[in-house]
Amino acid sequence: MCLTQLFLQNEAAYACVAELGELGLVQFRDLNPDVSAFQRKYVKEVRRCDEMERKLRFLEKEIKKDSIPMLDTYENPEAPQPREMFDLEATFEKLENELREVNQNEEMLKKNFAELTELKHILRKTQQFFEEVEYERRRFGRGRGVSISQDTSDDQQPLLGDYSVAQSRMKLGFVAGVIQRERLPAFERLLWRACRGNVFLRQSEITEPLTDASTGAPVNKAVFIIFFQGDQLKTRVKKICEGFRATLYPCPDTPQERREMSIGVMTRIEDLKTVLGQTQDHRHRVLVAAAKNVRMWMTKVRKIKAIYHVLNFFNLDVTQKCLIAECWCPVTELDRIQLALKRGSEESGSTVPSILNRMDTSEAPPTYNKSNKFTQGFQNIVDSYGIAAYREINPAPYTMITFPFLFAIMFGDLGHGTIMLLAGLFLVLQEKRLEAARIKDEIFQMFFTGRYMIFLMGCFSVYTGFIYNDAFSKSFNLFGSSWGNIFPFPLDEKAREQAITNLGGLEASPMLIPEKAYSGEPYPIGVDPIWVLAEANKLNFLNSMKMKAAILVGIAQMTFGIILGYHNFKYFNSKLDILYTFIPQIIFLSCIFIYLCLQVIMKWIAYDAAGGYSVLGYFYPSSNCAPSLLIGLINMFMMKSRDDGFVDGNKYCNTSIPPGKPGGCNMVGLCHLNNWYPGQHLVETILLVIAIVSVPVMLFAKPYFLYRRYRHKTVHYRDLNDDDVPIVLNGDGGGVSGSYPVRTNILQRTLATC
Amino acid sequence: MGEFFFNIDHGYLEGLIRGFKSGLLTTTDYANLVQCETLEDLKLHVQSTDYGNFLANEPGNITVQVIDERLKEKLVTEFTHLRNNSLEPLSTFLDYITYSYMIDNIILLITGTLHQRPINELISKCHPLGSFEQMEAIHIANTPAELYNAVLVDTPLAPYFVDCINEQDLDEMNVEIIRNTLYKAYIEDFYKFCEKLGGKTAEVMCEILAFEADRRAIIITINSFDTELAKDDRQKLYPTCGKLYPEGLNGLARADDYDQVKQVCEYYAEYKALFEGSGVNPGEKTLEDKFFEYEVKLNVQAYLHQFHFGVFYAFIKLKEQEMRNIIWIAECIAQRHRSKIENYIPIV
Repeated sequence: MCLTQLFLQNEAAYACVAELGELGLVQFRDLNPDVSAFQRKYVKEVRRCDEMERKLRFLEKEIKKDSIPMLDTYENPEAPQPREMFDLEATFEKLENELREVNQNEEMLKKNFAELTELKHILRKTQQFFEEVEYERRRFGRGRGVSISQDTSDDQQPLLGDYSVAQSRMKLGFVAGVIQRERLPAFERLLWRACRGNVFLRQSEITEPLTDASTGAPVNKAVFIIFFQGDQLKTRVKKICEGFRATLYPCPDTPQERREMSIGVMTRIEDLKTVLGQTQDHRHRVLVAAAKNVRMWMTKVRKIKAIYHVLNFFNLDVTQKCLIAECWCPVTELDRIQLALKRGSEESGSTVPSILNRMDTSEAPPTYNKSNKFTQGFQNIVDSYGIAAYREINPAPYTMITFPFLFAIMFGDLGHGTIMLLAGLFLVLQEKRLEAARIKDEIFQMFFTGRYMIFLMGCFSVYTGFIYNDAFSKSFNLFGSSWGNIFPFPLDEKAREQAITNLGGLEASPMLIPEKAYSGEPYPIGVDPIWVLAEANKLNFLNSMKMKAAILVGIAQMTFGIILGYHNFKYFNSKLDILYTFIPQIIFLSCIFIYLCLQVIMKWIAYDAAGGYSVLGYFYPSSNCAPSLLIGLINMFMMKSRDDGFVDGNKYCNTSIPPGKPGGCNMVGLCHLNNWYPGQHLVETILLVIAIVSVPVMLFAKPYFLYRRYRHKTVHYRDLNDDDVPIVLNGDGGGVSGSYPVRTNILQRTLATC
Repeated sequence: MGEFFFNIDHGYLEGLIRGFKSGLLTTTDYANLVQCETLEDLKLHVQSTDYGNFLANEPGNITVQVIDERLKEKLVTEFTHLRNNSLEPLSTFLDYITYSYMIDNIILLITGTLHQRPINELISKCHPLGSFEQMEAIHIANTPAELYNAVLVDTPLAPYFVDCINEQDLDEMNVEIIRNTLYKAYIEDFYKFCEKLGGKTAEVMCEILAFEADRRAIIITINSFDTELAKDDRQKLYPTCGKLYPEGLNGLARADDYDQVKQVCEYYAEYKALFEGSGVNPGEKTLEDKFFEYEVKLNVQAYLHQFHFGVFYAFIKLKEQEMRNIIWIAECIAQRHRSKIENYIPIV
């Protein structure tokens, strides 16, 4: 990376920045950080773009509302010339105005329509109410006719009958209207309270949802009719209706008028429907036309906005003739950048070429990791842990293999691996089409950017699955197991018993004794399929094998990381880091973990199935009694002194007494060698002490030395200050020196260690 | 003990509210806002803060009113999210916050109807945080008793209203008394609620509410000079959960002019400082601004403690102050009255 200065002609600046933007290789620096957003040079243009964007968003919203598919050409339109902006602006302006007008019309029509529909419902429902009453009256009237003759009392008369009688006596007023359904309970309650129960309310729900004229959202409403007496109550009821945003409609008193009105309303609704349909058609046509271009317009406007935004970063030079920009760019790409600048100047027809000037700087440049579609996914993962400083080794290339491989060690299954491989392969092969489909779904995006990773993980899983001899948890016997059946087929009872006695009387738990069943030749590659048949110790074996493999690979990975770190320190020539970070780290690692790894490998190499020989000076009787790594590690940390010989179950036994004798070991079950080699206890204690000592060095040494160096420096400055600057300034210098962030530094290191 | 389990129920919201709080405008933001020449500039700058593009979809020229509406809308969205995700007792606490806005809305509607304003115009002026279902039907009431019986009895404010039920007609004086009685009952109730919650919440909130109570008492006293409000009636309006209670309030009740009020407050260290720095001359800050500044200070201090509900109250109040500031600046810009533009209350 290098810092460069660009001198751009005023008129060419726009085209140059556009070209650089298409290239995407430079990072501009803000040269006027103190100038607030609205005082910059090109703020007017940015604002115009904002306005255009707003109009486009409005268009988009309208298009979406009508669910018209927006055409996406997937092409990348060039940044339009500044003069094109006027055209775009005019187009958008026209479209917006047209649309607004249509919308207004439509809204008005819709409002009208909604009102009429409500009125229709009111007429229908009130008709029902009245008809009910009528019906009741007629029924009870007939009943009453009989009852009069029987001279029954009044209380048999229905309430509504009463009401109808009352109606004939005094004038009962009523209002009818429509209210949102959810407001109805509160409305009813308030009505009752405010009028002290002197009104009568009937309501009925409108079953189909009506549309709200302004928002277009469906709303559920209910028709109500309120009967009351007198003008005072009328004003009060009207006020409450207004308060609850209930719309009141005039409702004629007689059924005849109601029917006429209802017919009138119906015809008006029909008329409105045709007009509304025409308006909607018009709107639809406008939107369909806009939908073809809206995406491209959006890209264009955004490009213009981005260009002006970048231009705002630039400085004007003294002559006002050219703009000065500063940017970071990769050294290897300088040619392409030059070319782009040239293109830009030519395009704008400027006579003076743009000048690119490398600058020296002491500032740390930004990190630039070149990536392609394959490496991008891995780079993303690495970046999520933190982006390497400039010129530090980028761990992403190594990750490309180690990450999928480590995954596969955990996911080793041939069957599942194949599925994953196929899924990855599908994503990779279909990548062009999938990319074009622009699926916005976040989860899918995650998989899609990691498609090469998934593919590789699948490949490695197939491999490890093969090694683990595991496909959907079934194994396959390719080369023939190297273990044979030691149990004879039951020829006859006696021979079998005899054979079992020969094998040591193990009929209770049939088990392949390594000394007898193992052919001596290992299975050519991977895990022997016989292990799937093992019932008692299948997991014991597989877990231990996979665990050990994982430890080996994992520790190798950690060591590799530390070595990468060492190369970084060496590159930056940081002695402090090498001495107090790298060395204690590697010591810590080797004293505990690499030592453990060596033990693992030793155990694999030196102890075989048969036994009966000495390893490193200790007698190794049989495969039952190999040294235990786990207990060994625990003992190492506990610094427990232990004797040579075996541990057998909970019992300790000496090697000097041959097995079988009293006090000797029978060497079955949980038996293991106590020590591997002479002096093991001493060696392990030393290793542990070194490891423990290196921890504080790792944590505190570097911050301490940095702090000391820093103090030295400030003291130094202060001496200088004393000579020629007044004491007032001195205090300032001291104040700053105290603020060296030792604590933060230590914290950082602790976190890194964890 | 409550602190140990605080995060189980309210940890998410506290984290959220602290995030919101750190989105408040900083001193540099204000410095930039003050430099704006037009409302468009203001919009551009506000876009670079946490407000984001809350004004981006406004067609045409923006007005102060539009800004105000959008600001309120944003606050309400945030508050509703908090309220919807809250558990007891935080939800009750948040409800308490809305009550003060409800009181304001009721008073606004009553005074509006007294002046024969159409109800729709008034509704649009109401604070959306304090809107409630029956709100729009308030204008049917002519007396406080009716107001209570018909409208307020279903709202959470009903218990506060019991003290002002009478059959007098609603007039301006009456409305003011209703407002202050409601507020007194509300603050005292809120204070009790916070005390009941205990712990840090009580510690922080009681401090803030005590100040609120005292501020109301002082302002009532100062505003009551030269009006027909009797001293006895005045004393009834003082919230009794502040630091002035009881001696200070007795003193205030007897006060006849501004200097006597000042004298009473001399005995209280916090208020003494406020009175000393204030004045009506140019260059001096008004007492009201001083109170606002002190309120902001208390609210900001609420964030120094953790595991309590005070942060929610403080956020709403700080946000309200910030909205007042933005509107003040916007008004100054819109009316070309730049000399007073610096008179906002900085939130530090």
